[in-house]
Amino acid sequence: MIPAAFEYFAPGSVAEAIGLLEQHGDEAKLLAGGHSLLPALKLRLSQPGVLIDISRVAELHGIEAGDRLSIGAATTYAAIASDPAVLGGCAVLAECAGQIGDIQVRNRGTLGGALAHADPAADLPAVVLALDAAIAVQGPAGARSISADDMFVEMLTTALEPNEVVTRVTFPVLGAGEGASYAKLKHPASRYAIVGVAAYVRLHADGSVAAARVAVTGAGPRAERQHATESALVGSAGDAAAIAAAAELAGESMEYLGDIHASETYRRAMVKVYTRRALEQAVARARG
Amino acid sequence: MIGASLPRPDAVGKVTGATAYPGDLVRAGMAHLAVVYAGRPHARIRHIDTSAARALPGVLAVLTAADVPFNRFGLIDADAPVLCDDVVRYVGDRVALVVADDPASARAATALVRVDYEDLPLVGDVHAALHPDAPLLHPHRPGNIVHRLQIRRGDPDRGFAEADIVLSETFRTSWQEHAFLQPEAGVAWVDDDGRIVVETAGQWLHEDRRQIAAMLRLPEDRVVVRYAAIGGAFGGREDLGVQHLLALAAWVCRRHVALVWRRDESMATRHKRHPFTIETRWGARRDGTITAVAARLLADGGAYASTSQEVVKIATLFATGCYEVANVALEGLALYTNNVPSGAFRGFGSPQAQFASESMVTRLARALGIDPVEMRRRNLYREGSIEPSGEPLPPGVSVRACLDAVVDELARQPQSAPPAGWRRGWGVACGIKNVGYSFGYPEQATATVELSGADVIERAVVRTGVADVGQGSHLAMRQIAAAALGLALGQVHLISDDSAATPDAGSASASRLTLVAGRAVHDAALAALARWHDEERPACATVQFRPRATTPLAAADGAGRPNYCYGYTAQALEVDVDPATGACRVVTIISAHDVGRAINRQQVEGQIEGALAQALGYALMEEFQMRDGQVRTAGFSTYLLPTALDMAPRIIPLILEHADDQGPFGARGMSEMPLVPFAPALAAAIHDATGAWLSRQPMTPERVRAAVRRATAGEEQP
Repeated sequence: MIPAAFEYFAPGSVAEAIGLLEQHGDEAKLLAGGHSLLPALKLRLSQPGVLIDISRVAELHGIEAGDRLSIGAATTYAAIASDPAVLGGCAVLAECAGQIGDIQVRNRGTLGGALAHADPAADLPAVVLALDAAIAVQGPAGARSISADDMFVEMLTTALEPNEVVTRVTFPVLGAGEGASYAKLKHPASRYAIVGVAAYVRLHADGSVAAARVAVTGAGPRAERQHATESALVGSAGDAAAIAAAAELAGESMEYLGDIHASETYRRAMVKVYTRRALEQAVARARG
Repeated sequence: MIGASLPRPDAVGKVTGATAYPGDLVRAGMAHLAVVYAGRPHARIRHIDTSAARALPGVLAVLTAADVPFNRFGLIDADAPVLCDDVVRYVGDRVALVVADDPASARAATALVRVDYEDLPLVGDVHAALHPDAPLLHPHRPGNIVHRLQIRRGDPDRGFAEADIVLSETFRTSWQEHAFLQPEAGVAWVDDDGRIVVETAGQWLHEDRRQIAAMLRLPEDRVVVRYAAIGGAFGGREDLGVQHLLALAAWVCRRHVALVWRRDESMATRHKRHPFTIETRWGARRDGTITAVAARLLADGGAYASTSQEVVKIATLFATGCYEVANVALEGLALYTNNVPSGAFRGFGSPQAQFASESMVTRLARALGIDPVEMRRRNLYREGSIEPSGEPLPPGVSVRACLDAVVDELARQPQSAPPAGWRRGWGVACGIKNVGYSFGYPEQATATVELSGADVIERAVVRTGVADVGQGSHLAMRQIAAAALGLALGQVHLISDDSAATPDAGSASASRLTLVAGRAVHDAALAALARWHDEERPACATVQFRPRATTPLAAADGAGRPNYCYGYTAQALEVDVDPATGACRVVTIISAHDVGRAINRQQVEGQIEGALAQALGYALMEEFQMRDGQVRTAGFSTYLLPTALDMAPRIIPLILEHADDQGPFGARGMSEMPLVPFAPALAAAIHDATGAWLSRQPMTPERVRAAVRRATAGEEQP
């Protein structure tokens, strides 16, 4: 349970961090909250020669409120969960961040770390997908934005290029007629998602569904949108029957990962159950 | 004094950390041990090369089988090698023992011990063990059979023919990990008198001493075993864990040695509760009278005998639960496999057997349209009832009183609704478990009491080797002595944790210490008091208490007098079930226990609540898993334990006091009983809520959901 030796750098800026990444290449790993990396180091599943600690880079911190919420990548789950602007404008994000792991995890784990690591059972990728967040990154070739839909490629793999750093994530501020929710079947010990479903809906004035985004995490190798469910719901009355019918379509085309706690069959069933629960709550919130 | 909820004198030190557990005994300058485990389930050892390990700086010695004077140990059958010589039979088998200056060097050296193995065919489960062509784990054990017994009474064929209804089912239970708070640890050395001293935690000082002496081929008085504070046991410290390894290393190396196990070592290598497969058939008349029971109980004993023989006997005896059945045909079979050994665990075969029997009584009742409580009342053991082994029960049969108490309490419960979308149900079950050793095993406890003072008795010193594994037996012994002598608690001193300073009280197991050792303390106190009145100063008496004799069961039909005392219990559970996910939440537990006489009421309630938490884990989530002989759940991230948040918000313990004729002040044991009826009561409550029958525990959400779906689809029988 002791990591192999490594060299440690704590750069003061994103540019400096990128320079270090370029200098050390494959040898280097970025360290933010460390909640995935440090256990991997201790178990020697990962043995990087160089750790670049970006947790204290000032430009990666802070939550800026405006038409949209812009959250620094090194912002902790705890900071997100208790931020008044997040609670007011994008409560589902605060809700999700506030139930990750336990207090210690929430005080160390970071938004950017969770997205860049892309753990298949992490919670935030589902919310990022459902809310169509934009992920700002910076690398040797400059800055760019990755849409949530393009971010999660496969298990533990994202659209980030080598030597790119997640800098900020931008979320919508939800208004009247919009609602979102995160429903989760959690692993009793780790509290990772066995199945986590994030749902977003926008309603027409007549109460019918104008737009819907649903994403599932935990059940398979990567967080994934549920297009069939979304299509079935859009244009419907958004009532219990419509939600139940749409939820039945969830998870049909997904790849699943079973383990000793929950089989693939059970996860497939739970995707439908939790999709229904997330949608019911999202619609209820949209109706105010 | 008797019945008073006196606070535990050891509580404050345990909470503040002042109390020394075995891991706290490690001192600077001690050599450290690390174990080389087999890591493979079945293989022949061709060669062991320890040269690279011995060459590592800091390494003092690497011990192998050749260093062990008598290389076998075991509680009943000494069939387990201390260090394997020819064959390894499960992943946790010990192959070598490294002695080094520090823990890191010792651990590092384990990786340098090179063992050349030839893998042998795997016996992965009981069905593989039973196969006619199965490889034998122990060549002198044909059929891989640890123990087989049959119990027959009456005419089972006629009993089934007389039945208006016959139901059959196969029940399955899983391994359970003891998960005591403190993993195994200890220290050992050779003292100035040439005695080997082992300080550790266990459940029976004198049995640990016997096995260590046998291993080292020493007379028992050359071995001293002492217990530090014991961080839980539940049967999990009955088999030797680190005791013999410490003794061996200290003896061979003549050093002070220490060994502190990690949690994964403890979980992956130590014995577990037996998983059982129980095929059973029950017949009853329309009026609810049970006419016949047939059962075949298969237990996975794992690689070594441990206590499998006794566990399967107990399970088979309780295959009819606490019901009088005129016609029975029972067969019990414990088998060797290449899995982790199974052994003692709170309940000792009784919970597994009664998951099946209690479930069958409820199913018969539902099928006949009889209230499950009424069905029980018609068949329950009463005074003088005949056991399957053909003899009347020991006096004091109080299971009906336990059930009545639960039903009365149930009637007083407030009505409330489950959360939206959830369904609520109630389930009731009864239970029986022996107190003390069974089947003719020599049962005794010895205590010495010495009274001193000038004109009046000022001080009593009680000596008896009872292990306080956390259940509070030290305080109970002092309360019993104080009450017998009319002294204040502070005047009674107990010496109990040193095999050289105490007489043998037997093990902290089978719910027996309060009855057997408590009675020895009680009688020794009264004998010393008589001598005090005869002017002896100090007045000293030693008494050995031996309860009524039991007998082995006859090979042909299981006839015999198996036990001298039983504890009885009944429970009702209120359970909410989410049919969509299969999640269950236990809302209310009513748990009635005839304890004969509560010596310390608070401790009895604590035992009930603690056992209920363990029972809830066993019934709902705890599932130690192996596949192909490899452990899949060697930590608490994979082996799920209940937390405070999983416990029922309402726990109502009901303590009945029908005096036992042998126990001190009428006390009888109770610490295992809450585990017995819990799982079948839960299964009954799930059925009440959803119509689904569960035949397999733990009743995980996945299994409950599947059962609910089968029931909804109408595939289930009533």
